[in-house]
Amino acid sequence: MQVTFKVYRKDPEKDGKPGRSNYTLELAEDATVLDALLKIRDESDSTLAFRGCCGRGYCGECMMRVNGSARLACTAKVPDYIKKGPEISLDPLRNVPVIKDLVFDWDAFMWNKIKEVKPWLETEGSPVNGENLIADAAMQDLRKVMSCFYCGMCDEGCTVLPVDFDFLGPAALTKAYRFAFDPRNKDSREQVKIVEKPKGIWDCVHCYEADEHCPRGIEPTKRIVALRDRAFNSGITHEAVARHHASFAASVKESGWLDEGRLAVESEGLTNVKGLMKLLPTAAKALARGKAPIPYMHSKRPDADKIKKIFEKAEQEEK
Amino acid sequence: MKYAFYPGCVSRGGCPELYPSAVKVADKLGIELDELKSVGCTGAGVLPQNITDPINARTFAKAEQLGLPIMTICSTCTGVMAQANYRLKDDPNYRAKINREYLADEGLEYKGTTEVKHLLWVLFEDYGIERLQSLIQRPLKGLKVSPFYGCYLRRPPEAITPTKELNRRKAYLDELIGILGAEMADISGKGKCCGFPILSANEENSLAMVAKHTGESKEKGADFMVTPCPLCHLNLDGNQSRAEAQTGKEIDLPILHLPQFVGLALGFNPNEMNLKRHIVSTTDVESKVSMMS
Repeated sequence: MQVTFKVYRKDPEKDGKPGRSNYTLELAEDATVLDALLKIRDESDSTLAFRGCCGRGYCGECMMRVNGSARLACTAKVPDYIKKGPEISLDPLRNVPVIKDLVFDWDAFMWNKIKEVKPWLETEGSPVNGENLIADAAMQDLRKVMSCFYCGMCDEGCTVLPVDFDFLGPAALTKAYRFAFDPRNKDSREQVKIVEKPKGIWDCVHCYEADEHCPRGIEPTKRIVALRDRAFNSGITHEAVARHHASFAASVKESGWLDEGRLAVESEGLTNVKGLMKLLPTAAKALARGKAPIPYMHSKRPDADKIKKIFEKAEQEEK
Repeated sequence: MKYAFYPGCVSRGGCPELYPSAVKVADKLGIELDELKSVGCTGAGVLPQNITDPINARTFAKAEQLGLPIMTICSTCTGVMAQANYRLKDDPNYRAKINREYLADEGLEYKGTTEVKHLLWVLFEDYGIERLQSLIQRPLKGLKVSPFYGCYLRRPPEAITPTKELNRRKAYLDELIGILGAEMADISGKGKCCGFPILSANEENSLAMVAKHTGESKEKGADFMVTPCPLCHLNLDGNQSRAEAQTGKEIDLPILHLPQFVGLALGFNPNEMNLKRHIVSTTDVESKVSMMS
């Protein structure tokens, strides 16, 4: 089959301006995108830069966008991408610093962020015979997380990273989960406190895009939600988030449902004049249209006492 | 056709225009609503699962007693309840534990049979598009509309789109725009987050998301955006002017709730759908709609 690859180009040693090169080549019917790239480099353009290593979907090195969607070039079969026509576009991931052509800065994209979550285990006491034995069942859940091969697909799918590249992102936060939830960890709160800092778990919008993108079914969003739930149950250390969650919890506990007016003012903090002033223009517009919920004028739901009982029992259980 | 109606807090709180519009539309369609009044908040993805799973199980048990599926008008309520319901249905031991520890005191038990559906899903899966089409009195011809789903109406797959057939749910809003006679102004972020969940943790990022989605919609020539999620509405409509101030770019895009959009096609006038209650002015939409009828 004959296919034309339209490949993103950028060379910092020339003008550094992004462009595109087209390569038309003859390929075998079972060729992958990585096969095509190797052929281009061997036969027609030795200046084309890209990464690739294992060739069988294990190492994650060859992540790129194939016709706009993030794929591993080594498992992307060419025939699957030419159904609409014999052309395939290849680009680096979105929102990553490009070094050259399809090679981007993995350190900035993921590794530096993983380093930030203290990705190692500190156990208590000295292990018996040099081994810290643990029941197999206790590792079941973690084994899934440990199957991550750092392809970066979750970060590529993330909703927050396109607006804020400093967000730690699902890959690093999932790594934090792996250690926070390891039963051998001497302080299960340590990683949670690290990722509670700005740009961590509270910056995640829990949109579940990461779960949809992960090729290993690790469900990074659910891991982030578990870290947040642990933070909630053991005391949130992020000030603004703590106020927001405490107010949310108090109004559900007291009335069965949410007092939105109260949530708006208490999230800013009742003594935070500057924060409360910021709410005023929106509140004034809302009032003018008869839609601003008045704080603390909130009625209880029927059966609010029963909901409160469940709430308090669940809180107690967690302690 | 009857549902246990779960309107959610926002439809009477921050977006009080939503509840009455939804009730009017349901009435016109002949969908009977038995409102669940003595049940709690879903937790909205803010409160932890160990607290909200029992509260949601109680809601499901109440609907089960009525023998009715639950209908919501909020993507967030739908998503959080669907996720809780998935855990409770999938694991009988977990369900038994929740029943024993939390519901037995009230003499309640959740047997795992309740369905949770958003109005959008109800229209396609239960009500039927042909039946809806037969009731259209004002095809919204000439209007360009962008869809915005709300994350929780699309993901996670096991709770929201568990079968290949139900994967269609990801396109219902796109389809509906055409069915009601309007033209779609498609946007790349229609299934992404509106930014509302991080408004208190990182306002700058939250507003950047508002600007991105509404700005793209405006560039595509949309008259308005439609959303089945009132939390998205709070951010996309309520905070649009702050997003404009942050980016220094005027957007001015009205955001309509799903029932308002359906209601206009069913022949309700803009006042009956409470369009005046929005923060971003809907005057242009109102005049275009008035010229149609």
